[in-house]
Amino acid sequence: MGMAEALRDAMRIAMRKDPTVLLLGEDIGVSGGFGGGFTVTLGLSDEFGHDRVIDTPISESAIVGAAVGAAMAGSRPVAEMQYGDFVFCAMDQVVNQAAKMHYMSNGQVRVPLVLRLPVGASQRGAQHGQCTEAMFTHTPGLKVVCPATPYDAKGLLLASIRDDNPVVFFEHKLLYGGKGTRKESASVSLGADVPVEDYEIPLGTVAVVREGGDITVVANMLMVHRALSAAEILAAEGIEAEIIDIRCLVPLDIATIEQSVQKTSRLLIVEEDHLTGGWGAEIAALIAERALNYLDAPIRRVAAPDTPLPCAAALERAFVPSVERIVSTAMQMTR
Amino acid sequence: MTHSIIIPDLGATGGDVKIVEWLVREGQHVDAGDTLFVVETDKATEEIPAFRAGYLRRVLAHADEERLPGDVVGLMTDTSDEAIVDPTAASVEPVAAVAATTSVSRVVRRLTASPRARHLARQHNLDLANVKAASASAIQVRDVVAALEGQPVAADWLIAAFRRMVLIRRYEEHLYQLFLQGLVPGTLHQCQGQEAVAVGVCSSLRRDDMIFSTHRPVGHLLAKGASLNAITAEIWGKATGCVGGKGGQMHLADFSVGAMVSNAIVGANIPIATGCAMAFKLQGLDRVAVSFFGDGACNIGAFHEGLNLAAVQDAPVVFVCENNLYAASTHISVTTRISNLADRAAAYGMRGYTADGMDVEAVSALAAAAIERARLGKGPTLLEYRTYRYRGHSRGDPCGYRADEEQRSWLARDPIERVRIRLNQDFGVTEENLGTIEQECQREIEAAVEFALASPEPTAESCLEHVFA
Repeated sequence: MGMAEALRDAMRIAMRKDPTVLLLGEDIGVSGGFGGGFTVTLGLSDEFGHDRVIDTPISESAIVGAAVGAAMAGSRPVAEMQYGDFVFCAMDQVVNQAAKMHYMSNGQVRVPLVLRLPVGASQRGAQHGQCTEAMFTHTPGLKVVCPATPYDAKGLLLASIRDDNPVVFFEHKLLYGGKGTRKESASVSLGADVPVEDYEIPLGTVAVVREGGDITVVANMLMVHRALSAAEILAAEGIEAEIIDIRCLVPLDIATIEQSVQKTSRLLIVEEDHLTGGWGAEIAALIAERALNYLDAPIRRVAAPDTPLPCAAALERAFVPSVERIVSTAMQMTR
Repeated sequence: MTHSIIIPDLGATGGDVKIVEWLVREGQHVDAGDTLFVVETDKATEEIPAFRAGYLRRVLAHADEERLPGDVVGLMTDTSDEAIVDPTAASVEPVAAVAATTSVSRVVRRLTASPRARHLARQHNLDLANVKAASASAIQVRDVVAALEGQPVAADWLIAAFRRMVLIRRYEEHLYQLFLQGLVPGTLHQCQGQEAVAVGVCSSLRRDDMIFSTHRPVGHLLAKGASLNAITAEIWGKATGCVGGKGGQMHLADFSVGAMVSNAIVGANIPIATGCAMAFKLQGLDRVAVSFFGDGACNIGAFHEGLNLAAVQDAPVVFVCENNLYAASTHISVTTRISNLADRAAAYGMRGYTADGMDVEAVSALAAAAIERARLGKGPTLLEYRTYRYRGHSRGDPCGYRADEEQRSWLARDPIERVRIRLNQDFGVTEENLGTIEQECQREIEAAVEFALASPEPTAESCLEHVFA
């Protein structure tokens, strides 16, 4: 099961068990259509009907706003932005409304919604591929989830739908999988087994996906897979990297990262988000505050540069953190 | 010249429109605005008016026959005896309802009686203008029966509306006086002058209907029945405030009466109320959501997106635009080219009505009809009420941008004085009784302020509470 199918499976299970779950988005339920930008909702309107799989106008502000209102009225909406970049059309509803209503009501209303954002550079240029996690981690009241595997995607999405808070759920386009023309050409092959059962992965957890004693590498989404590739190269050089998949940025399990850093004494953060003010900067600050005395090298970040995302393959390669950059930075840190 | 009479697009879901009856006989003269015939759609029964004066010459679709919007159902001529020209000829000009927008908004403004009530009145040759609605809704069958039996309409509803409007006015004025003495913390956006809209709309709602208010929320909240003590304590930033001091004057709520946290981002509650209504519908509930906003909100994207989504979803939501002519200090003529904001409803295939927001009975009649439509699953409505904000946009705004003459003309239409006179003259309620109501409101207000002042401040720890559920 690829990630797109795993996400679809999660929504199907959630909708079967809970009649208050509904989906909103552009092109997500059209009969004979393509199930959203990346087939994630394909077929769900056949099972649940167009009342629960709602094809909206191109109105991001209304999509998120309606999700906020529906959540306040007792539904559990899952809203899709066709591309994560389009959420900026709805930022008032995300930041001023969804994130704040529980607090502004002094805990009297809940806003249990999921906002699904397909992200990641995929040769579509500056407005169809940004990774913008930090914009949301900086807004109190939002949970931020960013899975790297189909297994995690399903379990985290089920947990997100059942969470009583607004959850911004990032999905990397190159991890969706899929078939034929609907498969991204640069797609990463993920052979994970995904159980058909209902299971949840608690929000606020990270996953140690490779153990090692020489350097801790924290990454999310596509970067987890690049870090794993880098770890193989580093292992050949005698450097054992511990890779932590930071699959949930808010709430953040900093304790597991701290424990790993205490063991390895080195921290490298890999993110497709921009360098300045990225979530990696926050992790660096937290580890500096909590574990500076354990460090044998400065904390380093491999991130996207502070430029808009370019389109051409050659430029995108220069923009998105590569296996080579991860390897060379880790080598410098462990020399 | 021959003019064809066409079935207008009534904003129904499509399909047949049934001719119920013609109110004009062939050969009879009509003036512009006179009802020609009555139709029934899957959504409502509506009277179709003539848009020009002339003579009805041919009825082409009779009672009980079905036609589609755009079909020619009759022919008119300018004079009583001229020759009728082939209606299919290019020169023929339609006289009834060519454009959905025009026809709908014109029909709507007359729609203050239920179809059954109208039918009954017609059977008895009773002019609906002589029928008073007993409660906060459109004229119902019982009102027609009461009128036929010569019974007076109960004044209870109007007295309750008077009390609620007085409470709002006196509360806002009390706050203003305290503000002038430097005793009110934070900001202040007041609604003196706009009380009839809040009360007329909210008195037509059920307790479990939800309202979404704005940065100017006091009227809406009190009209919906919110706790005076809790909102006063909130304005003073106290722990006993309706949202524990986290909200302040612009973010008032009382969830026990369906008053959600009022929203200080202009227009933001429009999609939110829409989504709330969509959830009601999906959950099989007959609850209604109401979004209040000002004329300024009609120019923000959320207005367009929210109204359009509500329309295509047939969401049970009523959009209430309080057109007080000013977005903060900017006059509507500077920002908006059309004269009736309700006309924008047509762009979404929605019904839109403009009415006098200084007349609580008119507000209520229109709102009740829209709320009833929403509750029956017939979709959203945009209501525009013309009203006036007596005080500034917010604290410290002396309104230097408004002409004295304009202010005087609106003050002369004061919604509370209007009800006072009506209660006194039409219902025999004495000045003394009205004065008692005012004194009771004043005492309630002073007690609320005392409650707020005596309440404790929130603890510092509570700053960190309720970020997440």
